[in-house]
Amino acid sequence: MTHFAPRFRIVQALLYGFVGLWSAFVLMPVAWMIFAAFKTRREIFTDPLGLPGQWTFDSFRRAWGVGLGQFMFNSVVVTTSAVLIILLVSGLAAYVIARSRSVWMKLLYLLIVAGFAVPNNAVIVPLYQMVTAADFGNSHFGIVWVYAAYGIPFTTILFFAFFLDFPRELEEAARLDGCRPWAVFFRVVMPLSGPAIASAAIFQAVFIWNEFLLALLLLTQPDKKTLPVGILQLQGEFTSDWPAVMAGLSIATLPIILLFLILQRSFVRSLAGLGK
Amino acid sequence: MSHLKINRVEKNYGAFHAVKGVSLEVEEGEFVVMVGPSGCGKSTLLRCIAGLEPITSGTITVGDHDITRAEPWDRGVAMVFQNYALYPHMTVRDNMGFALKVAGRPKAEIRAAVDKAAQTLRITEHLDKKPKALSGGQKQRVAIGRAITRAPEVFLFDEPLSNLDAALRSQMRVELGRLHNQLGATMIYVTHDQTEAMTMASRIVVLNGGVIEQVGTPLELYNKPESLFVAGFLGSPRMNFFDGRVLESRGRELSVEIPGMPGPVVVPLDDDVPVPQPGAQVRMGVRPEAVTLGGALELSVALVESLGRETLLYLEGGGLRTVDSESAEGFVAVQLPSQHQLRVGEPVKVGWDPASLYLFDDSGRRLATPDPGVPGRVWAGGGWNRPQGRARRGPTRLWRARRPGAGAG
Repeated sequence: MTHFAPRFRIVQALLYGFVGLWSAFVLMPVAWMIFAAFKTRREIFTDPLGLPGQWTFDSFRRAWGVGLGQFMFNSVVVTTSAVLIILLVSGLAAYVIARSRSVWMKLLYLLIVAGFAVPNNAVIVPLYQMVTAADFGNSHFGIVWVYAAYGIPFTTILFFAFFLDFPRELEEAARLDGCRPWAVFFRVVMPLSGPAIASAAIFQAVFIWNEFLLALLLLTQPDKKTLPVGILQLQGEFTSDWPAVMAGLSIATLPIILLFLILQRSFVRSLAGLGK
Repeated sequence: MSHLKINRVEKNYGAFHAVKGVSLEVEEGEFVVMVGPSGCGKSTLLRCIAGLEPITSGTITVGDHDITRAEPWDRGVAMVFQNYALYPHMTVRDNMGFALKVAGRPKAEIRAAVDKAAQTLRITEHLDKKPKALSGGQKQRVAIGRAITRAPEVFLFDEPLSNLDAALRSQMRVELGRLHNQLGATMIYVTHDQTEAMTMASRIVVLNGGVIEQVGTPLELYNKPESLFVAGFLGSPRMNFFDGRVLESRGRELSVEIPGMPGPVVVPLDDDVPVPQPGAQVRMGVRPEAVTLGGALELSVALVESLGRETLLYLEGGGLRTVDSESAEGFVAVQLPSQHQLRVGEPVKVGWDPASLYLFDDSGRRLATPDPGVPGRVWAGGGWNRPQGRARRGPTRLWRARRPGAGAG
């Protein structure tokens, strides 16, 4: 064993080096955004890569002053509602498809997979027409359903794979214990699907939180705008106030980081395939 | 009236027939063990009784109730799974009381039922733990406790001890036996482990290829197997089988030629079987514990397994080869009830009591089974029901050589 040790150490050092470089590559823009948020309007142009000369929260105050709080509230409402709908609908659909022996259900699954393959932007014009025709424009209710429709195929695929490996004995034990199918799903299957739920929730929450194009098209009233569109408005008013833009973006990332911290254990277990 | 009645139950998966017209009646309070090799349909039949698999045809009744098409929760059965199937997100107490909670029973009643079951199974101190904090044996107890709290009409066990180590398995066998005596409940237990079947069952059901081969008490099946399959399935090490040919019959005695034997073997037929014609292919069987040292058959030691209280020998020699037995090499297995110092290659003389021989025809049906009281056999004290009219034979009468000095016993 001992003659393998030096080689192992070299490989380990190389791996650590690679991971370190990759982390720096990924975190660099985030760090720059945070540092820029603390700089003055002049400093950001004179010393764009250096540390702030004086750490000040002025830009955060200016960003908050143009309605960031309202945008964030809107984003929270829209994201939470859409993610809940996605989890419920996808969970039920995936469970039924995973447990069904019907060929039609398999076909339905293939259709859902095909739906996942449709590029979001390709359907944006007919989608806009449908939403406005239904009088759902400028409404959180309307965009929530659109986001849910976008998110359901992917989440159904994710849940389907999870449910295929879910221990059948637990469901059978629940049936023998008196649970009807709904009770089996809500009392046994869902409480044990934490990793799948966490993965789906994080993926969908990040997508919806950051979604820009649909929100730009469907939410035009200032009090309805979500964060990405709201920050755009901020940029328009403060074209030269880059620190305020960066401060707004920094604030916008906080809820997602918080969500990840809460769900990270289940999320990592799910990605590592340990959540089964 | 039987408590559980399975009437011509069939279960097909497309073109595959997993259970082929099985009929079985289980009396109230019986401990019935279903055994058989993998894929024989025993677990499928159990799942059909539980309602987890819809049956293709036939009927199942519990007491007066036809439960053939009833939902699993409506059958009055509880099942203990091989993998415990405990709900990981609930405590032991919640696991055990889950069925009563779903049924909307008062909390006090649930608590009392859980406490009583926990006391019976000696798991009271684990009630507030989650299943992952328990050992395999404790988990299995909780799974049994979950079944007990439901107070079902019939308990179903699907290989519940398979995931436990040997020592714990043996301990749990005793526990289950005690529990059955204490509860007096009807239990159906599926296993592929013949030791569990032999030690726990009131009656054993041997399944093979989706049909019942034989039903009977453990000793009935061990001593009087109706088929070659049952004879080979029960007993460890397996019975030694030798292919042979009928030379002649005299009355109800057959003279059988076994390749590799120094002379023909005379085997008395059971009273209720037809006499095979000369030239018919037969298979002779002798249990490893019926083979003794000191006979006239000279073989050499191929392998020795010293187990302390007993010694297993695998012997080879000449053209004498076993078929479909314990060793793929055709060795003759010998189980000696004491310690023996023998080396590989050492010659040994063995023999057996002719009254301990089994004989089966070419379709595997019984032709001859041993008499009670044969030396080297373990009999239930006087429990052997011999067919009337068959004379009790002395051990020397039926193992005789045609040529002087050529016999093996």
